[in-house]
Amino acid sequence: PVPVPPVPPGWRSPVDCVRATEQCAAEAGCSSRYRTLRQCLAGRDRNTLLANRECQLALEVLHESPLQRCRCKRGMRKELQCLQIYWSIHLGLAEGEEFYEASPYEPATSRLSDIFRLASIFSGMDPATASKSNHCLDAAKACNLNDNCKRLRSGYISTCSRALSAAEPCSRRKCHKALRQFFDRVPGEFTFRLLFCSCKDTACAERRRQTIVPSCSYEDKDKPNCLDLRGACRADHLCRSRLADFHTNCQATFQSLTSCPGDNFQACLGSYAGLIGFDITPNYVDASTTSITISPWCSCKGSGNMEEECEKFLQDFTENPCLRNAIQAFGNGTDVNVVP
Amino acid sequence: SRRKRARARHKPCELRELEVSVSELGLGYESDETVLFRYCSGTCEAAVRSYDLSLKSMRSRRKIRKEKIRARPCCRPLAYDDDVSFLDAYNRYYTVNELSAKECGCV
Repeated sequence: PVPVPPVPPGWRSPVDCVRATEQCAAEAGCSSRYRTLRQCLAGRDRNTLLANRECQLALEVLHESPLQRCRCKRGMRKELQCLQIYWSIHLGLAEGEEFYEASPYEPATSRLSDIFRLASIFSGMDPATASKSNHCLDAAKACNLNDNCKRLRSGYISTCSRALSAAEPCSRRKCHKALRQFFDRVPGEFTFRLLFCSCKDTACAERRRQTIVPSCSYEDKDKPNCLDLRGACRADHLCRSRLADFHTNCQATFQSLTSCPGDNFQACLGSYAGLIGFDITPNYVDASTTSITISPWCSCKGSGNMEEECEKFLQDFTENPCLRNAIQAFGNGTDVNVVP
Repeated sequence: SRRKRARARHKPCELRELEVSVSELGLGYESDETVLFRYCSGTCEAAVRSYDLSLKSMRSRRKIRKEKIRARPCCRPLAYDDDVSFLDAYNRYYTVNELSAKECGCV
């Protein structure tokens, strides 16, 4: 058999999964094993098939191929195809349903503090104008004056506020799609300012809450159970990936000063924005200026004996010091390095 | 400076822009949001066509009377910008189309 080529040394960023399958396809050994594995996972009863010797062997061989380490990029061409490949391999490796899953996305390599620096310029205005100014209104202005941001913002606002009939206030599906386009295609310097602007009064905080047009994209007649919502999200490769990315980058840790993994606020805010436009869309629960509470539209009612797991899942949004610190730091224009 | 002003008045037809609040647009919306208002401004002397000259001639020969006619080109938008959306003072979203010019020409 042809040996699988070793991973070249000194690879900083992992190859993307679409390219990795192309590399794999060029190797007879790798491509036949990969085909076998896909067949193993395509079956309904995953566990029985994985107990199969041939499937096990396929997994072992793929462990050493470029496919094993491949990742995807947010907003890349063929993102969905890349994620499908990623999960086809990683679902085979996972023991079962895990509470936290590793992100299929490339880790945010640079700190990209530019966005924070930008925010600090705005918050560093002279106190007289700063006390009167509404940062969320300034963020809307900055977006309106940029053709790309304005076009995509108007795109989701008009879609999300267009009534279909008296019974249907909007098309949630189209609204979510337009929101995803906005957050994937407009740079963070505009989207983060709109989402995470700091507020001193209720009018500002209400504007911040209204950013994603919550009446269409967020609120619903009834609140589903959070674990059901998670289940629905995990059934979709894209949603599952964004949720895993959020858990990877915003999971509170006691090992850092900021409570964020690697003290990386930017990565946490980016993966939060990446959830908008999916079943799990998070938002501010009210227009409070003093305490920031974020939640997806769900509750832990009717969790049965899974109540504890449900609360744990929900609290990663509602009571997450990493997420809260990241939002506040952005609003104040202070990244960790900037703090004296 | 007088010559400068005169030259400024004779700028050819082109796109200009202003930053204005939505309330200032006079469309009846109340919102402090700022939008970019692009408009067409300038002269169209260079764009006079045989049509305009002949039409003028017809009017002076009184072959056309009592009718509303325009015997010179006019600087107007040829295309309008994409929709613009904003949140008003009552937290309602609105979208306005054909608010802003995208391209100007002497028509």
